[in-house]
Amino acid sequence: MSDWIAIGALAAVGVLIPLGMMSVSALLRPSVPETGKSTTYESGETPTGGTRIRFNIQYYMVALLFVVFDIETVLLFPWAVIYRPAIAAGVPMIDLLWPMLAFVGILAIGLVWAWRSGAISWARSPRATSRKTERDLN
Amino acid sequence: MGTAPAQLFPEFLVDTFGLPGVLGEVVASLIGAAVVANIILAFSGVAGPWAKRKITAAFTDRIAVDRIGPFGLLIIPASAVQLLAKELIIPEGVDRPTWDIAPILLPASAMLGFSVIPMGQIGPLNIHLADPEVGLALVFAFASIASVSLVMAGYASNNKYSLLGGLRAVAQNLAYEIPLIVTAMSVVIFAGTLQISGVVGAQTETLATVAGFDIPAWFAFVNPFAFVLFLTANLAEIGRNPFDIPEAPTEIVGGYQTEYSSAYFVLFYLGEFVHIFLGGAILSVVFLGGASGPGPESISFIWFVVKVWGFFLFTQWARAAIPRVRIDQLIEIGWKGMLVLSFANLVLTAVIVGVIA
Repeated sequence: MSDWIAIGALAAVGVLIPLGMMSVSALLRPSVPETGKSTTYESGETPTGGTRIRFNIQYYMVALLFVVFDIETVLLFPWAVIYRPAIAAGVPMIDLLWPMLAFVGILAIGLVWAWRSGAISWARSPRATSRKTERDLN
Repeated sequence: MGTAPAQLFPEFLVDTFGLPGVLGEVVASLIGAAVVANIILAFSGVAGPWAKRKITAAFTDRIAVDRIGPFGLLIIPASAVQLLAKELIIPEGVDRPTWDIAPILLPASAMLGFSVIPMGQIGPLNIHLADPEVGLALVFAFASIASVSLVMAGYASNNKYSLLGGLRAVAQNLAYEIPLIVTAMSVVIFAGTLQISGVVGAQTETLATVAGFDIPAWFAFVNPFAFVLFLTANLAEIGRNPFDIPEAPTEIVGGYQTEYSSAYFVLFYLGEFVHIFLGGAILSVVFLGGASGPGPESISFIWFVVKVWGFFLFTQWARAAIPRVRIDQLIEIGWKGMLVLSFANLVLTAVIVGVIA
């Protein structure tokens, strides 16, 4: 009995349920078009400018770091699986531990570098820092 | 490890009804999947329109939904019909079909995570669809598809609030995914397998006996530090307080779901609840002994429900009690605090397991 048939079956059911809800809703719901109803929501104001704008680079920095660490976790999983059985089979602990420590250590150095260069502390834009609040003015 | 696990749900159906061949397997799997999906839908249906309001009301000393039916329970079908019958407003400039796929992807991916979760037994029926060898890695993979859906919704909505919400969701999931998985890895070191039944089986041994009670070796008792780390990262992963900045209603309206209405909005709402329950299910599998509990094996479904709803209650408690963190605090807690702590936990666990084994 294949596990993947069951997983595929749940994937099919999982897509069919939202599709079913959408179809039922399409049968039930009214359509009352009015001018201005479909305007982009900007807290009741008329929308200004486009949405696809240049954006805070910080999100990109975090994403770059993530790729490195995510691949690390993928590579560590096999090690975690065999660790205890290997110890039980009589492999000395230090032989199992040092490759992992070296691997994590290299990434830790990378993290320290990212930390010191400020990649993981949220940068404030000059505009945000220069903005005066009412309290500052008093 | 432990006793042989009970038959999986589709196998049970094949054997009971004598379904032949591959077609029989597919039919049995579809029936099993429909049952599992309906259990999750029932959870979310009770949680969304009813339990969440009742719990919030209890925390804030108010009275909630008590007009329709006993304890206001009939608000559930009423809300379902009402929400589905709402007009769908498609805003200007949305990027279709991305805008339409996102609300399908979120509940579907969260539901898919339940395919490998053992939900315990009702009588001889073991509600567990599949048990592949890579189960634990698979369930994390399924759970993290949700952030793709959130960024799709955020980008396709052509709304600045949505864009902010989508990007925040990604930044948050990226920051907490690694502590979550590395902490789970410390459990894998104990269990020595990624197969969910193996992870659960490793927790059936007795840790200690206190006053005649056998305390099972749940990893929450074996390694409470990892449990707390995992619980925190899990809250961030499912985007609940104090880590709810992707929606942050008081800052960015509704985040990625600002421009959604009607069934599309319901699907996001549903997906979030399924995701909370998936978070609870993963927590119970990895740290709370799966569906096990006192009493016979045949009622263990009750324990699964108790654990998953316990986690749901916890998220609602956190929602009522803990203020939201800012994005800069979120990144610092994730990358400077939790990441370092989770690796420290991994190395320490490896050393301790190596010494005692």
